[in-house]
Amino acid sequence: MKRSLFDKLWDAHVVEELPGGNALVFMDLVVAHEITTPPGAIAIEKEFGDELYAGERIVAMIDHVAPAKDAATAIQAQTVRVWAKRHGIRFHDIGDNGICHVLVPERGYVTPGMTVCCGDSHTCTLGAFGAFALGIGTTAQAGAMLAGCLILQRPKVMRVEVTGTLPADATAKDLTLSVIATIGFRGGTGYVLEYAGSAIRALSMEQRMTLCNMAIEAGATTGLVAADATTAAYLAATPAAPTGWTPLQADDDAEYAAHVTIDASAIRPVVSWGTNPGENAPIDGVVPFDAAAESLAYMDLQPGQALRSIAIDQAFIGSCTNSRIGDLRAAAAVLRGQRVSVPTIVTPGSQLVRRQAEREGLHDIFQDAGALWTHSSCGPCLGMSMGVIAAGTRCVSSSNRNFPGRMGDGGRVHLAAPAVVAASAILGRIASPSEIEAPVSAEMALA
Amino acid sequence: MTVEGTVLPIPRANIDTDQIIPAHYLTRIDAEGMGEHLFEGMPDGAHLLALHPGASIVVAGENFGCGSSREHAAWALLGRGFHAVIAPSFARIFLENAYNNGVVPVVLPQRIVDELMGARALSIDVEGETLRADGGEPIRFELDPLRKQFVLGGGVLKYLASKIPGVRAWEAAR
Repeated sequence: MKRSLFDKLWDAHVVEELPGGNALVFMDLVVAHEITTPPGAIAIEKEFGDELYAGERIVAMIDHVAPAKDAATAIQAQTVRVWAKRHGIRFHDIGDNGICHVLVPERGYVTPGMTVCCGDSHTCTLGAFGAFALGIGTTAQAGAMLAGCLILQRPKVMRVEVTGTLPADATAKDLTLSVIATIGFRGGTGYVLEYAGSAIRALSMEQRMTLCNMAIEAGATTGLVAADATTAAYLAATPAAPTGWTPLQADDDAEYAAHVTIDASAIRPVVSWGTNPGENAPIDGVVPFDAAAESLAYMDLQPGQALRSIAIDQAFIGSCTNSRIGDLRAAAAVLRGQRVSVPTIVTPGSQLVRRQAEREGLHDIFQDAGALWTHSSCGPCLGMSMGVIAAGTRCVSSSNRNFPGRMGDGGRVHLAAPAVVAASAILGRIASPSEIEAPVSAEMALA
Repeated sequence: MTVEGTVLPIPRANIDTDQIIPAHYLTRIDAEGMGEHLFEGMPDGAHLLALHPGASIVVAGENFGCGSSREHAAWALLGRGFHAVIAPSFARIFLENAYNNGVVPVVLPQRIVDELMGARALSIDVEGETLRADGGEPIRFELDPLRKQFVLGGGVLKYLASKIPGVRAWEAAR
């Protein structure tokens, strides 16, 4: 039988078929962070003698709130810290840390053909490496740490073929938001999105991560991109420089439960106007006339309103979606020589990204523009720390969720690519980078 | 096992876990203390809870529990005395979290869910996979036969622990 890439990943990891269409699926790697891991780790300690299946198959880090913001988050961090040490688990403490979906790939911990799980919904990011990577709850993660496996229903596979070439001004963020708008906010539920096509092959690893990161925002179990020479080159340059992995490919004529074809050349820069990521539209357009009334009421918008007329109160560049070095370069290219007109926070996805950005002088560009340059954290993306927004205010953000209250109770979020966030920060409204005039250099002004 | 109680109707789709329990409450190393903050992230959450005091079964629209993987959403429901959620569909991660914590996830067609929004009292027979609204005719639903056992007793971690020797043998032969 002809098999999809996902079929091959699944078949290679099923330990046992279980009743009700479930399977016991082996996990090669469990990623653990301070927010969702402690209750599961404590349950294993109390009920199962603190025995883990394999400590070397776990990597842990402080990522959501780094460093701790108060006594409670300090206890969370300390719990993971002590637990990791006790079990000899690879651990990335503050200073050496990052958002797990940024840190794990950049260190070379994920390789094609692996299975990966984490108590974090955006674990699907790692599907960019041709690995089956999925988010799960605390108890399921505890199960994976205790018994090496998850219990899963086999998802169906949707082939998402992206043909042609992305226009110069469209990014992987615009592509992933457009995919969600095309298949629907819950259109991927029960599916793995297996990406293929010329536009996917042309994406860098960072762009593939941005694409796969938001598979969960269509409800999908994960996204997947087959490994190729781009993947191999990326992995070879990581600190771990993993070798010995074999790239898996879908068979020609593999069967899929669903097919979607998207013309990359038609992808426009988009921005979300509503309260889920599927509610987005081209930035040069308007709030749709058939927009859901509840979304409009929450966002305080009118149908037909030009998106580029919407005033903002804050801008955020960061999150597991768009905080890698390429994202920061894109934002810096817009902010160079400019001034922001609203509070603007730039949060690198990891301390390695931060240090690379500083070697390139990007931190000076951001700070010269009046933006706040921070250390790595999930920050305000989920309204936990470092830039939570006030009720009634509006933030344009390179993150992944615009749910009601996501970045702060009563706050409003517009999702966009980093360059759009940068342009919006300058103009104080949702703006396209093409609206920003190149600054006049000192020499030119003197002449 | 029977879940009985009155209904908290949320006649909307896509109730995400940020609405069920905002992230700023995810700062504990146990599952306690979440119930008092249930639905604080939902614009009309406090209003709905006040309108339906003592309710113990949520009836909601499609894609309940989408978004973040936070199991705190299931803990918050339990902490507030909700032992079942009825909806036309659930997000994958929430569905598993619900089973793993004994929150019974009942999937029924939208038409029936709409009717149940107006029901006064529900009785859910978990073993028999039927429910009755206000003493009416039984309505059939289906649970995952394996995960149903985790709800009825034993728990998923004990089940997985029993699999460890087999997993080790599988890995050795890999």
